[in-house]
Amino acid sequence: MNSTIRIQNHDFDLGAEYQLLRQLESAVGAVVTFAGLVRDLEKNTSINSLTLQHYPGMTESLLQEIVDQAEARWDLIGITVIHRVGELLPSDQIVFVGVASQHRADAFEAAQFVMDYLKTKATFWKKVDQNGQQHWIESKDSDQTASDRWSADD
Amino acid sequence: MIKLLFFGRLGDFAEGVSASIDATEGLTPATVRDALAADHPALVAELSQPQVLISLNQMIVGWDQPIFDGAELAFLPPVTGG
Repeated sequence: MNSTIRIQNHDFDLGAEYQLLRQLESAVGAVVTFAGLVRDLEKNTSINSLTLQHYPGMTESLLQEIVDQAEARWDLIGITVIHRVGELLPSDQIVFVGVASQHRADAFEAAQFVMDYLKTKATFWKKVDQNGQQHWIESKDSDQTASDRWSADD
Repeated sequence: MIKLLFFGRLGDFAEGVSASIDATEGLTPATVRDALAADHPALVAELSQPQVLISLNQMIVGWDQPIFDGAELAFLPPVTGG
């Protein structure tokens, strides 16, 4: 399987990433893509900016582990994970997950699995600026619940 | 020397904490935390939260993991990426 993992400050081009996955092999019959964006509100209050910190080296290893687990679990041809770091503004793209497979069910499920695990396991932390006050975002129980259901299936 | 890293909100509490400590006999994440208690009680209270994970050389470990010279010890609050 082809896997691409990138952590970067600059933006990504969803169309270009889709084309790369589409063209991996002629056997590709499904490509599922997900893009996560910066919301304008955090707890009903507008934000000026969002800053993403990560743990260089460890983050890449953890994302590779997640991708490896997806590969072991579904019949996949390619996975691309891109996560931005640094300062972002509302409606900016934060994260991209794209999965190519022969059949759609594998791509749909693997894309959701990668995002659910990324949110609860990969070493990223978000800080928001609201009216000039900066604070770190708290983790959400709903993200943990979404992640847990993949292990409950085993 | 042991390199110390505090991520996310833990970094705010760790202002003024030395970025490295000397390697000594019997060092573990728990002894590192306890050694910070006198000068940085607010940080140690945060580190003691059950959701905080510890990594040694970028692998998740327990509080009693032996630490050897040259290691990188990081304290990780719950992650919030994606």
